[in-house]
Amino acid sequence: MALVESQREREEVSSEQLLQDSTKAATAKIAVFQYIVVAVFIFLLSGFWTLQVQNPDYYSEAAERNRIKSTPILAPRGKILDRDGRVIVDNKASYSLLLNRDQLKWEHLPAIADALHLDYNELAGKVRRMGSRPQIVIKDELTPDDMSWVQSHRDTATYPEMDIINSWRRLYPQDGYAAHVIGYVGEISDAELDLPQFIEYHPGDVIGKDGIEREYDSTLRGVDGERRVLVDSMGRERQVDKPKDAVAGKDLQLTLDLDLQSVAELAMEGKRGAVVALDPRNGQVLAMVSRPTFDPNKFTGRISTKDWKEIVDDPYKPLMNRATQAEFAPGSTFKPFVALAGLESGVIDDQTEFHCPGGASFYGHYFACWRKGGHGNISLHRAITQSCDVYFYNVGNRLGIDRLAHYTQLAGFGGKTGIDLPNERESTMPSTRWKLRTFRQKWYAGETISVAIGQGAVTVSPLELAAALGGLSIGGRWYRPHLLRDAKPVLTRDGHLNPQDVAEVVDGMYGVVNEGGTGHAAALPNIEVCGKTGTAQLVSTEKMKSMHLKNNAWFEAFAPKGAPEIAVVALFESGEEGANAAWIVRDVMKAYFDKKARLAKERTQLTREFHTLTLPWAMPMPAALALGSGLN
Amino acid sequence: MQEPRVVEAILSRYRNLIILAIVIVAQLLLLAWQVRTTQDVRLIRVWAVTTVTPLAGVTEAVRRNTIGFLEDYFILLDVREQNRKLREDNNRLKMENIYYRNQLTTAENARALSAFQLQTASKTVAARIIGNGTASSAQVVFIDRGSTSGVVKGMAVVTPDGIVGKVIAVYPLASQVLLVTDPTFSVGVESQKAHIHGTLSCNGSNCVVDYIQNEEKIDPGEWFYTSGEDRIFPRGFPVGTAASVKSGQFMKDIHLNLSGAPGAADEVLVVLHGVHQLIPDTPPEQRVAQSLPAPPPDAAPGPATPKMATQADKIKQKYIDIGKEENHVYGAIGGNMPNFNKPAAAAQSPAQAEMPPKPAAKPASPPVVRPSPPPTGILGARTPEPTKQPAAEKKPSHVDNGPVLPLGAPRKKAPPATPPQP
Repeated sequence: MALVESQREREEVSSEQLLQDSTKAATAKIAVFQYIVVAVFIFLLSGFWTLQVQNPDYYSEAAERNRIKSTPILAPRGKILDRDGRVIVDNKASYSLLLNRDQLKWEHLPAIADALHLDYNELAGKVRRMGSRPQIVIKDELTPDDMSWVQSHRDTATYPEMDIINSWRRLYPQDGYAAHVIGYVGEISDAELDLPQFIEYHPGDVIGKDGIEREYDSTLRGVDGERRVLVDSMGRERQVDKPKDAVAGKDLQLTLDLDLQSVAELAMEGKRGAVVALDPRNGQVLAMVSRPTFDPNKFTGRISTKDWKEIVDDPYKPLMNRATQAEFAPGSTFKPFVALAGLESGVIDDQTEFHCPGGASFYGHYFACWRKGGHGNISLHRAITQSCDVYFYNVGNRLGIDRLAHYTQLAGFGGKTGIDLPNERESTMPSTRWKLRTFRQKWYAGETISVAIGQGAVTVSPLELAAALGGLSIGGRWYRPHLLRDAKPVLTRDGHLNPQDVAEVVDGMYGVVNEGGTGHAAALPNIEVCGKTGTAQLVSTEKMKSMHLKNNAWFEAFAPKGAPEIAVVALFESGEEGANAAWIVRDVMKAYFDKKARLAKERTQLTREFHTLTLPWAMPMPAALALGSGLN
Repeated sequence: MQEPRVVEAILSRYRNLIILAIVIVAQLLLLAWQVRTTQDVRLIRVWAVTTVTPLAGVTEAVRRNTIGFLEDYFILLDVREQNRKLREDNNRLKMENIYYRNQLTTAENARALSAFQLQTASKTVAARIIGNGTASSAQVVFIDRGSTSGVVKGMAVVTPDGIVGKVIAVYPLASQVLLVTDPTFSVGVESQKAHIHGTLSCNGSNCVVDYIQNEEKIDPGEWFYTSGEDRIFPRGFPVGTAASVKSGQFMKDIHLNLSGAPGAADEVLVVLHGVHQLIPDTPPEQRVAQSLPAPPPDAAPGPATPKMATQADKIKQKYIDIGKEENHVYGAIGGNMPNFNKPAAAAQSPAQAEMPPKPAAKPASPPVVRPSPPPTGILGARTPEPTKQPAAEKKPSHVDNGPVLPLGAPRKKAPPATPPQP
């Protein structure tokens, strides 16, 4: 019995222990679960805190943005027209790809970059720089391939951040036609964004980069509109608000004449140099060509690395506008201005003669004339017509550099014309002060001799020479060259020159073209063309031979002699002789006067038809017939 | 009365545990709602679809095997089953047939032969449509093939007659397909004759082909095929025919009739590995009806899009033509004196100058003639020169075409063309 009782007691004790153990285990398990639950709640509470308390504005704004999607309506830039309203630069409708920041997922970027042939690092950098902007354009001018891919992948399940918008691609003339005048557009760079004039611009904005596009960017540029749509949680458009329409940029009418420009472009094909034609009476630039050139259409989207490298590596610098930036010695085209300086200062008159034996010595140096046999005794008229170097050596020697600089600076040498194009370079007209300031050296009288025939330190661009010539042709009044048709002529300098002095020089230039002079190639039937050739050495004759360089050919001309309407300058780099550039000028002038004759004929015909169809006393003559147009 | 007490007792005894379990389950569900798989699908959706799909399959099988069994066995015995198999075989064979016919047609030139040797047929897997999507606005269907069959998000879904859509979500045993008729989905397409590329977008049954310029040549009734540019559909699958073609403000307005029936098909093919094919020269229907092989394909590409030009280009072209007419090289040393006022009969008129250059090869469509620009109305703007001028009206060369001079202006005799050198 005792054994049984003791066994029962043991069993009772063990069962009590077991009961106690299981209760403890259950309590521990419950405690663990409770801790887990508390931890989960704390986790959820922290999320709630972040969402609702810490950044409520950010998330509510993000939710609002998700609800209302806004896409820009890009404004087209204004067209660029010629003086007759013909389109030089147009716009072409195209499509651009936007990325919406709210729906953007970084993991999608590699696939998007791959499919659209974009550089991933460049794309990622662009997205990083987008800042607070809701969208960013990542590719312009989508091809049909791109469009197909984007449209079939922009659903909510794939890449919902993609959006397509209508955009405008700038359409420039082909083959670099007038490229240096018009310039081109491109995406604003980081460096430009830091400039004060671009403070209102954003990354990705398209701006004028060069030429007229840059100079009149604010006029050509429109104001973008906005399209706002209500979207559901799946990104589907549910309601479209009334869009804020884009305001197109203003059209810009230039002074360029496409007829002259076309002929000048064709005349410069295959050559290096520039042509400038302007109306000396008001400074309107009628044509401006620079060769070699570039195709601005390549810049409208994103220029390929290959194309960019090709342009940058070209030793002849096709991006440089030679008409405004090429500074070369003008050679003999400078002589009319030296003659004018001599006449105005009184160191010579029309009867002054010098003897040309084929060269002359000044200050211990022998200076040769281009004609080795010499011109004999020669006066001003023949000296200009025959371009006698010795005559002008003597005039320069009599004038001295400072008096020469005074009169030539009056014509615009040694400065900028102030044309409405960016990055115009300043020409050089040496003087004692200039040399002291630039080289800290004294001017030697012997240096004046070279300057007197347009060599030495004197340099000029084709535009500056054309502007100087234009002012001389109308009696010594120089207008600022400009390209905007509506701009009022600005008289920059009035030389108050003696008309007789001007007439002497103009007569000499008439002889260059019409009296068996060096510029006979520029002669036109029934038009009194005045001109002057120029053959300019780049370096010394010995160096030229060793480096196989050729002289630059210049030709300057204006017409008609009595009442000049057009002044043309052609620079033909490595053209060897000035006479070789005269053919270019001849073609441009012929185009001008042929057009003038054509318009006059048409006007006469229209007037006759008008008078036969209407009662002349009952109706006034139409303005179109009365005022004339185009070339006036 | 006994049973409620027992339940009550259980509830009161395990109250804490039950509440805990409910909370945990709720947490798990919330987490599953938030967590997405690598394929960007919510985990809870994966669970739900995975749970429901076998049930749906079983239900469908039971329904088919009970009702279908009675019909098949008692009425048509196993004709329906055979019919289904035959339809599947037929579809597969039609696909193969189209493929091989395409290959046979294109193998007649070297390029096609090379392509034929290099490429292999698209690898597909047959699938059955087992349900529609829940969202009323979305054009989606479910198919009974999922990741276990090798289906991946983004794959194309087609039928032998046309395209159906693309896979937008993949589950183990099923996939969700966005139909081509959904407004958010687009497909790259290519016209049959001129190979003009565009983008097909549908809003229900209203399908349009966008982004084809007005200058391009598309005929009503012309077939469109997948272009392959969307990277979803391999090139060469039939899409539909142009129902109407109009010129829009900037782009053509082309409405398309889809050749397939994306929403109505029962069986579809998922393209596991796409192979681009050449666009056949003849539409699918015609090919089927033809007994003779198609004529050798024209190796020349479609007509090139005309180069965009401004008025400046046209005026320059006019002067190029004048130069050619007068044998004048602009700016050339010793060049003859040009006459830019020569009657326009010989020289190209501005209107003619606006025409784009003709393509070198004979195009499938006539050359595009761009309209003349409207008159500028600006004072001094050039009036269009007459396009026709009888040759007899040409002025003789000795006639002075120089400018009209004002009265009293000096008139000098023209110098010789090449005066002696000074």
